[in-house]
Amino acid sequence: MAGIIVDKDYICRDYATEIFMISPNRTYNTLLALVTVWCIAIVAAPLLAAGGEVSGPAGSLLYEGFSRICHQIDARSFHIAGEKLGVCVRCSSIYFGFLATLIAIPFIVSPNRLRTPSIQWLFLALAPMIVDVLSYNLGIQSSPVMARLVTGILAGAILPLYIVPSLLEAVGQIKMSLYKAGGFYARKTQ
Amino acid sequence: MPEKPNKQRAVLLGGLVIGSLWGIPFVNMINCCCCAGILLGGIMASYLYREEFVEGMPPFESSDALITGLLAGIVGALVATFISNLIHLAFGPVGAEVMKDIIEKVLQRLEEQGSIPTGMYDEMLEQLEREINKPLTLYEVLKDLLFSVIILPIFGMLGGLLGFAIFGKKKTAQPA
Repeated sequence: MAGIIVDKDYICRDYATEIFMISPNRTYNTLLALVTVWCIAIVAAPLLAAGGEVSGPAGSLLYEGFSRICHQIDARSFHIAGEKLGVCVRCSSIYFGFLATLIAIPFIVSPNRLRTPSIQWLFLALAPMIVDVLSYNLGIQSSPVMARLVTGILAGAILPLYIVPSLLEAVGQIKMSLYKAGGFYARKTQ
Repeated sequence: MPEKPNKQRAVLLGGLVIGSLWGIPFVNMINCCCCAGILLGGIMASYLYREEFVEGMPPFESSDALITGLLAGIVGALVATFISNLIHLAFGPVGAEVMKDIIEKVLQRLEEQGSIPTGMYDEMLEQLEREINKPLTLYEVLKDLLFSVIILPIFGMLGGLLGFAIFGKKKTAQPA
């Protein structure tokens, strides 16, 4: 733009603070909002479906969407208002476990200070679910609801500890490279 | 200073894995456990891209893992739609039939245990039959593609980030 002199280095120095100190929280909040919407959709599917002709089509659409990622077997799902949730017990546990940890993180540590734990904890938390799935499919045990619930929550709850730090760092890096390239963030400073 | 390697190979291979694990009947049952197949494809794409970094290049970062997983998910969606429809055209609704067999066995076991009310078994089988006999239309194909293009990149991206968390940064010595 004519008449405006922009010291790009200065902008980078000045806004690096904003990008790496404030933005991680925005990214975290966005992630939290998206996961919350996802979990609400799981619960909304039966409530809408139970609404009859008025909200039924919306419920069917949600069921249709979730059917791509879950078997949705009625007998393997929790029920609300006489209808099954959008996904089965195991999937629900994973998603709600994921959401619970996301909600808990800011009460324990600032999201941008969260560090990825040792990888062995991830395998340790996933192992019970894998054992439950395999032993059920081999006919060794019947995989009761409680087993699916507990192992699912455990698996879902551990995942944010590995995903959130990488995600916040990645978004920060992408934003930095965007304004270094003179994109949106450089224009914002003018 | 040398630039980062091209993501093309990792994205295509990761996308192929995601597409196969999503589109091939029976194999795609792995995704019943919270899209484990897509997560695996994202992890693989991230790992493959990490392996392409050599001495003197900038380090492999989390943003690389995120973008690689996301792109692999998009490629995977296209591959999966192609594979599943090709299989449907060539062999008929084998995917739905495999699913029906499995659900039938699960329901039978649950009915024996008394976990589901009597009569529910037949009702669910009827529902499955209706699904199997549904014809393949352009609308169904586009709907499939739309759902895949939304779901696969999200889980692919999460897989990529998990891959980064598992394999870590690759430190590459910078030239002095």
